[in-house]
Amino acid sequence: MSAPAGPGRLVKCVVWDLDNTLLRGIYLESRPGPPPPDPAMASLLTVLGERGILHAIASRNPPEAARYAAQATGCEFVAAECGWGRKSESLARIAAGLDIGVDALAFVDDDPYERAEVGAALPGVRVLSPEDAAEAVDWPEFSPAEVTPEARRRAGLYQQRQQRLAAERSFGGSREEFLRACGTKVTIARAVPGDVPRLHELSERTSQFNSAGQALSAASLEDLIRSPAQDVMTVRLQDRFADDGLVGGCVVGRDRVWTVPFLMMSCRAIGRGVIDSLLGWLARAAARGGATAVQVPCVLNERNVPLRLALASAGFRADPGQAGPAEALFRHDLAAPLPARPGWVTTPGEL
Amino acid sequence: MTGARQALVLDELRGVLAEVTGRDELRAIPAGTALFGPPVALDSLTGTRLLREVRQRFGVDVAAEDLNLDALATLGTLASFVASRSELPSGRP
Repeated sequence: MSAPAGPGRLVKCVVWDLDNTLLRGIYLESRPGPPPPDPAMASLLTVLGERGILHAIASRNPPEAARYAAQATGCEFVAAECGWGRKSESLARIAAGLDIGVDALAFVDDDPYERAEVGAALPGVRVLSPEDAAEAVDWPEFSPAEVTPEARRRAGLYQQRQQRLAAERSFGGSREEFLRACGTKVTIARAVPGDVPRLHELSERTSQFNSAGQALSAASLEDLIRSPAQDVMTVRLQDRFADDGLVGGCVVGRDRVWTVPFLMMSCRAIGRGVIDSLLGWLARAAARGGATAVQVPCVLNERNVPLRLALASAGFRADPGQAGPAEALFRHDLAAPLPARPGWVTTPGEL
Repeated sequence: MTGARQALVLDELRGVLAEVTGRDELRAIPAGTALFGPPVALDSLTGTRLLREVRQRFGVDVAAEDLNLDALATLGTLASFVASRSELPSGRP
Protein backbone atom coordinates (compact mmCIF):
# COMPACT_ATOMS: atom_id res chain seq x y z
CA MET A 1 0.00 0.00 0.00
CA SER A 2 1.54 3.29 -1.03
CA ALA A 3 1.36 6.40 1.11
CA PRO A 4 -1.13 9.06 0.11
CA ALA A 5 0.34 11.60 -2.33
CA GLY A 6 -0.51 14.54 -0.17
CA PRO A 7 -2.55 15.25 2.91
CA GLY A 8 -6.23 15.37 2.16
CA ARG A 9 -5.83 15.02 -1.60
CA LEU A 10 -9.18 13.56 -2.55
CA VAL A 11 -9.52 10.47 -4.69
CA LYS A 12 -11.76 11.30 -7.65
CA CYS A 13 -11.84 7.91 -9.34
CA VAL A 14 -11.22 4.35 -8.14
CA VAL A 15 -9.90 1.95 -10.78
CA TRP A 16 -10.93 -1.64 -10.09
CA ASP A 17 -9.47 -4.95 -11.15
CA LEU A 18 -12.16 -7.57 -11.88
CA ASP A 19 -10.87 -11.14 -11.26
CA ASN A 20 -10.87 -11.92 -7.54
CA THR A 21 -11.32 -8.25 -6.75
CA LEU A 22 -14.65 -6.85 -7.90
CA LEU A 23 -15.76 -10.34 -8.94
CA ARG A 24 -15.69 -13.35 -6.67
CA GLY A 25 -13.69 -15.57 -9.02
CA ILE A 26 -12.09 -15.48 -12.45
CA TYR A 27 -14.31 -14.26 -15.27
CA LEU A 28 -12.96 -16.52 -18.02
CA GLU A 29 -12.67 -19.64 -15.85
CA SER A 30 -15.86 -19.51 -13.84
CA ARG A 31 -18.44 -22.23 -14.56
CA PRO A 32 -21.29 -22.43 -15.33
CA GLY A 33 -21.62 -18.63 -15.64
CA PRO A 34 -19.47 -15.59 -14.81
CA PRO A 35 -18.66 -15.14 -11.10
CA PRO A 36 -20.93 -12.95 -8.96
CA PRO A 37 -19.72 -9.58 -7.66
CA ASP A 38 -17.92 -9.66 -4.32
CA PRO A 39 -20.56 -8.31 -1.90
CA ALA A 40 -18.08 -6.27 0.17
CA MET A 41 -16.61 -4.62 -2.94
CA ALA A 42 -20.05 -4.06 -4.47
CA SER A 43 -21.17 -2.21 -1.36
CA LEU A 44 -17.97 -0.11 -1.51
CA LEU A 45 -18.90 0.85 -5.07
CA THR A 46 -22.22 2.17 -3.81
CA VAL A 47 -20.84 3.97 -0.75
CA LEU A 48 -18.07 5.71 -2.70
CA GLY A 49 -20.42 6.51 -5.60
CA GLU A 50 -22.76 8.29 -3.19
CA ARG A 51 -19.80 10.44 -2.12
CA GLY A 52 -19.33 11.55 -5.72
CA ILE A 53 -16.31 9.30 -6.36
CA LEU A 54 -16.16 7.81 -9.87
CA HIS A 55 -15.42 4.18 -10.75
CA ALA A 56 -13.45 2.68 -13.63
CA ILE A 57 -12.14 -0.76 -14.58
CA ALA A 58 -8.66 -2.01 -15.51
CA SER A 59 -8.83 -5.72 -16.25
CA ARG A 60 -7.05 -8.49 -18.12
CA ASN A 61 -10.30 -9.67 -19.61
CA PRO A 62 -12.26 -9.08 -22.81
CA PRO A 63 -14.48 -5.96 -22.83
CA GLU A 64 -17.59 -8.14 -22.23
CA ALA A 65 -16.28 -8.66 -18.69
CA ALA A 66 -16.53 -4.92 -17.97
CA ARG A 67 -20.06 -4.82 -19.36
CA TYR A 68 -20.94 -7.83 -17.22
CA ALA A 69 -19.47 -6.14 -14.09
CA ALA A 70 -21.52 -2.98 -14.74
CA GLN A 71 -24.69 -4.99 -15.16
CA ALA A 72 -24.00 -7.32 -12.21
CA THR A 73 -23.13 -4.52 -9.76
CA GLY A 74 -25.59 -1.95 -11.12
CA CYS A 75 -22.74 0.57 -11.04
CA GLU A 76 -21.83 3.11 -13.74
CA PHE A 77 -18.16 2.83 -14.75
CA VAL A 78 -16.86 5.96 -16.45
CA ALA A 79 -14.04 4.07 -18.22
CA ALA A 80 -13.00 0.46 -18.81
CA GLU A 81 -9.51 -0.57 -19.90
CA CYS A 82 -9.44 -4.23 -20.91
CA GLY A 83 -6.23 -5.76 -22.23
CA TRP A 84 -2.75 -7.12 -21.63
CA GLY A 85 -0.66 -3.97 -21.40
CA ARG A 86 0.72 -2.58 -18.17
CA LYS A 87 -1.99 -1.54 -15.74
CA SER A 88 -0.06 1.68 -15.02
CA GLU A 89 -0.61 2.58 -18.68
CA SER A 90 -4.31 1.75 -18.36
CA LEU A 91 -4.53 4.06 -15.34
CA ALA A 92 -2.70 6.84 -17.17
CA ARG A 93 -5.16 6.53 -20.07
CA ILE A 94 -8.13 6.58 -17.70
CA ALA A 95 -6.84 9.75 -15.99
CA ALA A 96 -6.11 11.42 -19.34
CA GLY A 97 -9.56 10.49 -20.65
CA LEU A 98 -11.18 12.10 -17.61
CA ASP A 99 -8.76 15.06 -17.69
CA ILE A 100 -7.78 14.44 -14.07
CA GLY A 101 -4.32 13.86 -12.63
CA VAL A 102 -3.17 10.28 -11.96
CA ASP A 103 -2.72 11.32 -8.34
CA ALA A 104 -6.52 11.65 -8.12
CA LEU A 105 -6.80 7.89 -8.76
CA ALA A 106 -6.93 4.92 -6.40
CA PHE A 107 -6.29 1.40 -7.70
CA VAL A 108 -7.67 -1.80 -6.18
CA ASP A 109 -6.24 -5.16 -7.27
CA ASP A 110 -5.80 -8.49 -5.49
CA ASP A 111 -2.57 -9.24 -7.40
CA PRO A 112 0.54 -7.97 -5.56
CA TYR A 113 2.47 -7.84 -8.85
CA GLU A 114 -0.06 -5.48 -10.42
CA ARG A 115 -0.11 -3.31 -7.30
CA ALA A 116 3.69 -3.11 -7.28
CA GLU A 117 3.82 -2.25 -10.99
CA VAL A 118 1.30 0.57 -10.64
CA GLY A 119 2.87 1.80 -7.39
CA ALA A 120 6.33 1.98 -8.98
CA ALA A 121 5.24 3.59 -12.26
CA LEU A 122 2.71 6.02 -10.77
CA PRO A 123 3.76 6.86 -7.20
CA GLY A 124 0.86 9.31 -6.76
CA VAL A 125 -1.81 6.60 -7.09
CA ARG A 126 -3.31 5.16 -3.89
CA VAL A 127 -2.68 1.43 -4.43
CA LEU A 128 -4.87 -0.87 -2.38
CA SER A 129 -5.56 -4.57 -1.93
CA PRO A 130 -9.27 -5.45 -1.64
CA GLU A 131 -8.74 -5.79 2.13
CA ASP A 132 -7.15 -2.30 2.29
CA ALA A 133 -10.01 -0.90 0.25
CA ALA A 134 -12.58 -2.01 2.83
CA GLU A 135 -10.72 0.05 5.44
CA ALA A 136 -9.79 2.94 3.17
CA VAL A 137 -13.42 3.92 2.89
CA ASP A 138 -12.92 5.84 6.16
CA TRP A 139 -9.70 7.56 5.10
CA PRO A 140 -9.87 11.31 4.54
CA GLU A 141 -8.98 11.02 0.85
CA PHE A 142 -12.18 9.03 0.30
CA SER A 143 -14.25 11.27 2.55
CA PRO A 144 -15.16 14.63 1.04
CA ALA A 145 -16.44 16.96 3.76
CA GLU A 146 -19.50 17.94 1.76
CA VAL A 147 -21.43 15.90 -0.75
CA THR A 148 -23.29 18.39 -2.91
CA PRO A 149 -25.95 17.75 -5.55
CA GLU A 150 -23.21 18.27 -8.17
CA ALA A 151 -21.19 15.48 -6.54
CA ARG A 152 -24.08 13.02 -6.52
CA ARG A 153 -24.69 13.71 -10.21
CA ARG A 154 -20.99 13.38 -11.04
CA ALA A 155 -21.01 9.93 -12.69
CA GLY A 156 -23.93 11.04 -14.86
CA LEU A 157 -22.14 14.27 -15.79
CA TYR A 158 -19.07 12.29 -16.85
CA GLN A 159 -21.28 10.10 -19.02
CA GLN A 160 -22.77 13.19 -20.66
CA ARG A 161 -19.20 14.35 -21.12
CA GLN A 162 -18.38 11.09 -22.96
CA GLN A 163 -21.41 11.68 -25.18
CA ARG A 164 -20.17 15.20 -25.91
CA LEU A 165 -16.70 13.85 -26.78
CA ALA A 166 -18.23 11.19 -29.06
CA ALA A 167 -20.34 13.86 -30.75
CA GLU A 168 -17.20 15.99 -31.17
CA ARG A 169 -15.33 13.12 -32.83
CA SER A 170 -18.12 12.57 -35.34
CA PHE A 171 -18.65 16.32 -35.91
CA GLY A 172 -17.46 17.46 -39.32
CA GLY A 173 -16.28 20.98 -38.51
CA SER A 174 -13.63 22.54 -36.27
CA ARG A 175 -13.63 22.29 -32.49
CA GLU A 176 -14.78 25.89 -32.23
CA GLU A 177 -17.71 25.20 -34.55
CA PHE A 178 -18.54 22.18 -32.43
CA LEU A 179 -18.52 24.17 -29.19
CA ARG A 180 -20.71 26.78 -30.83
CA ALA A 181 -23.13 24.07 -31.96
CA CYS A 182 -23.24 22.82 -28.35
CA GLY A 183 -24.77 26.11 -27.24
CA THR A 184 -22.18 26.58 -24.47
CA LYS A 185 -23.42 29.03 -21.84
CA VAL A 186 -21.17 30.39 -19.08
CA THR A 187 -22.90 32.39 -16.34
CA ILE A 188 -20.84 34.52 -13.97
CA ALA A 189 -22.63 35.85 -10.89
CA ARG A 190 -22.00 36.98 -7.32
CA ALA A 191 -22.02 34.10 -4.85
CA VAL A 192 -24.84 33.81 -2.36
CA PRO A 193 -24.61 31.90 0.96
CA GLY A 194 -26.31 28.88 -0.65
CA ASP A 195 -23.30 28.49 -2.99
CA VAL A 196 -20.87 27.95 -0.09
CA PRO A 197 -21.01 24.12 0.16
CA ARG A 198 -20.33 23.66 -3.57
CA LEU A 199 -17.65 26.40 -3.63
CA HIS A 200 -15.91 24.77 -0.67
CA GLU A 201 -16.11 21.31 -2.26
CA LEU A 202 -14.77 22.65 -5.55
CA SER A 203 -11.89 24.37 -3.75
CA GLU A 204 -10.93 21.01 -2.22
CA ARG A 205 -11.13 19.10 -5.49
CA THR A 206 -9.44 21.50 -7.87
CA SER A 207 -5.72 21.27 -8.56
CA GLN A 208 -5.17 21.89 -12.28
CA PHE A 209 -7.10 25.14 -11.99
CA ASN A 210 -6.48 26.36 -8.45
CA SER A 211 -4.42 29.53 -8.14
CA ALA A 212 -3.78 29.15 -4.41
CA GLY A 213 -2.92 25.44 -4.43
CA GLN A 214 -5.21 24.94 -1.46
CA ALA A 215 -8.85 24.85 -0.38
CA LEU A 216 -11.02 27.59 1.13
CA SER A 217 -13.03 26.60 4.21
CA ALA A 218 -16.78 27.10 4.29
CA ALA A 219 -16.32 29.56 7.16
CA SER A 220 -13.85 31.67 5.16
CA LEU A 221 -16.14 31.63 2.15
CA GLU A 222 -19.06 32.84 4.27
CA ASP A 223 -16.91 35.65 5.68
CA LEU A 224 -15.74 36.64 2.21
CA ILE A 225 -19.30 36.70 0.84
CA ARG A 226 -20.36 39.02 3.68
CA SER A 227 -17.29 41.23 3.40
CA PRO A 228 -17.82 44.53 1.56
CA ALA A 229 -14.13 44.63 0.66
CA GLN A 230 -14.30 41.81 -1.86
CA ASP A 231 -16.60 39.83 -4.10
CA VAL A 232 -16.92 36.09 -4.39
CA MET A 233 -17.96 35.16 -7.92
CA THR A 234 -19.44 31.90 -9.18
CA VAL A 235 -19.20 30.40 -12.66
CA ARG A 236 -21.86 28.04 -14.00
CA LEU A 237 -21.72 26.03 -17.20
CA GLN A 238 -24.44 24.58 -19.37
CA ASP A 239 -24.79 23.27 -22.92
CA ARG A 240 -27.22 21.11 -24.80
CA PHE A 241 -25.64 17.93 -23.42
CA ALA A 242 -25.71 18.79 -19.73
CA ASP A 243 -26.15 21.37 -17.03
CA ASP A 244 -22.81 21.12 -15.24
CA GLY A 245 -23.88 23.53 -12.52
CA LEU A 246 -21.31 25.48 -10.51
CA VAL A 247 -17.89 24.68 -12.03
CA GLY A 248 -15.74 27.61 -10.95
CA GLY A 249 -15.30 30.68 -8.84
CA CYS A 250 -12.99 33.39 -7.66
CA VAL A 251 -12.49 35.96 -4.94
CA VAL A 252 -11.91 39.52 -6.13
CA GLY A 253 -10.64 42.54 -4.21
CA ARG A 254 -11.69 45.70 -6.09
CA ASP A 255 -9.16 48.49 -5.73
CA ARG A 256 -7.19 50.60 -8.21
CA VAL A 257 -5.74 47.24 -9.12
CA TRP A 258 -8.13 44.30 -8.88
CA THR A 259 -6.49 41.41 -7.03
CA VAL A 260 -7.75 37.85 -7.27
CA PRO A 261 -6.37 35.93 -4.28
CA PHE A 262 -8.30 32.80 -5.20
CA LEU A 263 -9.40 31.44 -8.56
CA MET A 264 -10.51 27.93 -9.41
CA MET A 265 -12.29 25.82 -12.00
CA SER A 266 -13.37 22.18 -12.15
CA CYS A 267 -11.16 20.18 -14.50
CA ARG A 268 -14.38 18.68 -15.88
CA ALA A 269 -14.96 22.07 -17.56
CA ILE A 270 -11.55 22.12 -19.30
CA GLY A 271 -11.53 22.90 -23.01
CA ARG A 272 -14.97 24.51 -23.03
CA GLY A 273 -14.03 28.17 -22.76
CA VAL A 274 -14.92 28.53 -19.08
CA ILE A 275 -11.58 29.67 -17.66
CA ASP A 276 -11.06 31.95 -20.67
CA SER A 277 -14.51 33.45 -20.07
CA LEU A 278 -13.73 34.03 -16.39
CA LEU A 279 -10.32 35.65 -17.02
CA GLY A 280 -11.79 37.78 -19.82
CA TRP A 281 -14.68 38.83 -17.60
CA LEU A 282 -12.25 39.83 -14.81
CA ALA A 283 -10.30 42.07 -17.18
CA ARG A 284 -13.38 43.65 -18.76
CA ALA A 285 -15.18 44.16 -15.43
CA ALA A 286 -12.06 45.68 -13.86
CA ALA A 287 -11.67 48.02 -16.83
CA ARG A 288 -15.32 49.09 -16.52
CA GLY A 289 -14.74 49.64 -12.79
CA GLY A 290 -11.88 52.04 -13.55
CA ALA A 291 -9.05 49.76 -12.43
CA THR A 292 -5.64 49.96 -14.11
CA ALA A 293 -4.76 46.27 -13.88
CA VAL A 294 -5.91 42.85 -12.71
CA GLN A 295 -3.50 40.61 -10.87
CA VAL A 296 -3.67 36.96 -9.94
CA PRO A 297 -1.13 35.59 -7.45
CA CYS A 298 -0.61 31.99 -8.47
CA VAL A 299 1.35 29.22 -6.79
CA LEU A 300 3.69 27.45 -9.18
CA ASN A 301 3.39 23.70 -9.10
CA GLU A 302 3.36 20.83 -11.58
CA ARG A 303 -0.37 20.40 -11.26
CA ASN A 304 -1.66 23.84 -12.14
CA VAL A 305 0.21 24.31 -15.43
CA PRO A 306 -3.21 24.33 -17.19
CA LEU A 307 -4.08 27.48 -15.22
CA ARG A 308 -0.79 29.10 -16.27
CA LEU A 309 -1.65 28.25 -19.88
CA ALA A 310 -5.01 29.96 -19.47
CA LEU A 311 -3.36 33.02 -17.87
CA ALA A 312 -0.78 33.23 -20.66
CA SER A 313 -3.46 32.80 -23.29
CA ALA A 314 -5.53 35.63 -21.74
CA GLY A 315 -2.52 37.97 -21.79
CA PHE A 316 -1.53 37.82 -18.10
CA ARG A 317 2.21 37.96 -17.41
CA ALA A 318 4.39 37.51 -14.35
CA ASP A 319 7.67 39.26 -13.73
CA PRO A 320 10.22 36.44 -13.43
CA GLY A 321 12.36 38.69 -11.24
CA GLN A 322 9.61 38.94 -8.64
CA ALA A 323 8.69 35.28 -8.69
CA GLY A 324 9.61 33.35 -5.62
CA PRO A 325 10.32 29.69 -6.19
CA ALA A 326 6.74 28.82 -5.33
CA GLU A 327 4.53 31.74 -6.36
CA ALA A 328 4.24 34.41 -9.05
CA LEU A 329 2.03 37.44 -9.53
CA PHE A 330 0.35 37.30 -12.94
CA ARG A 331 -0.83 40.70 -14.10
CA HIS A 332 -2.91 42.07 -16.94
CA ASP A 333 -2.43 45.77 -17.61
CA LEU A 334 -5.82 47.13 -18.65
CA ALA A 335 -4.29 49.65 -21.05
CA ALA A 336 -3.31 46.60 -23.14
CA PRO A 337 -5.95 44.99 -25.38
CA LEU A 338 -8.47 43.10 -23.25
CA PRO A 339 -8.95 39.37 -23.75
CA ALA A 340 -12.06 38.62 -25.77
CA ARG A 341 -14.54 36.03 -24.61
CA PRO A 342 -14.45 32.91 -26.79
CA GLY A 343 -16.80 33.41 -29.73
CA TRP A 344 -18.85 30.31 -28.92
CA VAL A 345 -19.62 31.27 -25.34
CA THR A 346 -22.61 33.31 -24.27
CA THR A 347 -22.43 35.01 -20.87
CA PRO A 348 -25.98 35.96 -20.03
CA GLY A 349 -26.40 39.06 -17.90
CA GLU A 350 -22.69 39.88 -17.73
CA LEU A 351 -22.22 41.96 -14.57
CA MET B 1 23.56 21.81 -37.55
CA THR B 2 21.41 23.78 -35.10
CA GLY B 3 19.23 24.94 -37.95
CA ALA B 4 18.79 21.41 -39.25
CA ARG B 5 17.95 20.09 -35.81
CA GLN B 6 15.47 22.92 -35.28
CA ALA B 7 13.81 22.11 -38.61
CA LEU B 8 13.42 18.47 -37.54
CA VAL B 9 11.95 19.50 -34.22
CA LEU B 10 9.63 21.96 -35.96
CA ASP B 11 8.32 19.26 -38.28
CA GLU B 12 7.67 16.91 -35.40
CA LEU B 13 5.94 19.70 -33.46
CA ARG B 14 3.64 20.41 -36.40
CA GLY B 15 2.51 16.78 -36.24
CA VAL B 16 2.10 16.98 -32.45
CA LEU B 17 0.04 20.15 -32.72
CA ALA B 18 -2.24 18.57 -35.34
CA GLU B 19 -2.67 15.54 -33.06
CA VAL B 20 -3.41 17.39 -29.83
CA THR B 21 -5.89 19.73 -31.49
CA GLY B 22 -7.36 17.12 -33.83
CA ARG B 23 -6.88 19.58 -36.69
CA ASP B 24 -4.92 18.19 -39.62
CA GLU B 25 -4.61 21.57 -41.36
CA LEU B 26 -2.17 22.66 -38.63
CA ARG B 27 0.46 20.30 -40.13
CA ALA B 28 1.13 23.03 -42.67
CA ILE B 29 1.25 26.20 -40.55
CA PRO B 30 4.22 28.57 -40.91
CA ALA B 31 6.68 28.63 -38.00
CA GLY B 32 5.78 32.22 -37.18
CA THR B 33 2.05 31.61 -36.59
CA ALA B 34 0.93 32.65 -33.10
CA LEU B 35 -0.30 29.72 -31.00
CA PHE B 36 -2.50 31.69 -28.59
CA GLY B 37 -5.39 33.36 -30.39
CA PRO B 38 -6.71 32.56 -33.85
CA PRO B 39 -6.17 30.59 -36.02
CA VAL B 40 -4.55 28.02 -33.68
CA ALA B 41 -6.30 29.25 -30.49
CA LEU B 42 -4.28 27.06 -28.13
CA ASP B 43 -6.16 26.84 -24.81
CA SER B 44 -5.48 25.19 -21.48
CA LEU B 45 -6.70 21.79 -22.74
CA THR B 46 -4.78 21.65 -26.02
CA GLY B 47 -1.83 23.48 -24.42
CA THR B 48 -1.59 20.90 -21.62
CA ARG B 49 -1.64 18.08 -24.17
CA LEU B 50 1.03 19.83 -26.25
CA LEU B 51 3.32 20.31 -23.22
CA ARG B 52 2.77 16.67 -22.17
CA GLU B 53 3.77 15.42 -25.64
CA VAL B 54 6.81 17.72 -25.74
CA ARG B 55 7.96 16.36 -22.38
CA GLN B 56 7.47 12.75 -23.48
CA ARG B 57 9.06 13.06 -26.92
CA PHE B 58 11.89 15.50 -26.22
CA GLY B 59 12.35 15.29 -22.45
CA VAL B 60 11.90 19.06 -22.16
CA ASP B 61 9.65 20.41 -19.38
CA VAL B 62 8.71 23.81 -20.80
CA ALA B 63 6.47 24.83 -17.86
CA ALA B 64 9.24 24.18 -15.33
CA GLU B 65 11.70 26.48 -17.12
CA ASP B 66 9.50 29.16 -18.63
CA LEU B 67 7.30 31.06 -16.14
CA ASN B 68 5.23 32.96 -18.70
CA LEU B 69 5.28 30.14 -21.26
CA ASP B 70 6.80 32.54 -23.78
CA ALA B 71 8.13 29.49 -25.63
CA LEU B 72 4.54 28.94 -26.75
CA ALA B 73 4.40 32.26 -28.65
CA THR B 74 4.77 30.47 -32.00
CA LEU B 75 5.68 27.00 -33.21
CA GLY B 76 9.08 28.46 -34.17
CA THR B 77 9.84 29.76 -30.67
CA LEU B 78 8.77 26.41 -29.22
CA ALA B 79 11.01 24.54 -31.69
CA SER B 80 14.04 26.64 -30.81
CA PHE B 81 13.33 26.29 -27.06
CA VAL B 82 13.09 22.51 -27.44
CA ALA B 83 15.98 22.13 -29.88
CA SER B 84 18.36 24.00 -27.61
CA ARG B 85 17.56 21.68 -24.68
CA SER B 86 17.01 18.23 -26.13
CA GLU B 87 18.65 15.39 -28.00
CA LEU B 88 17.46 14.62 -31.50
CA PRO B 89 13.71 13.98 -31.80
CA SER B 90 12.64 10.49 -30.83
CA GLY B 91 12.71 7.87 -33.56
CA ARG B 92 15.23 9.77 -35.68
CA PRO B 93 18.81 8.57 -36.17
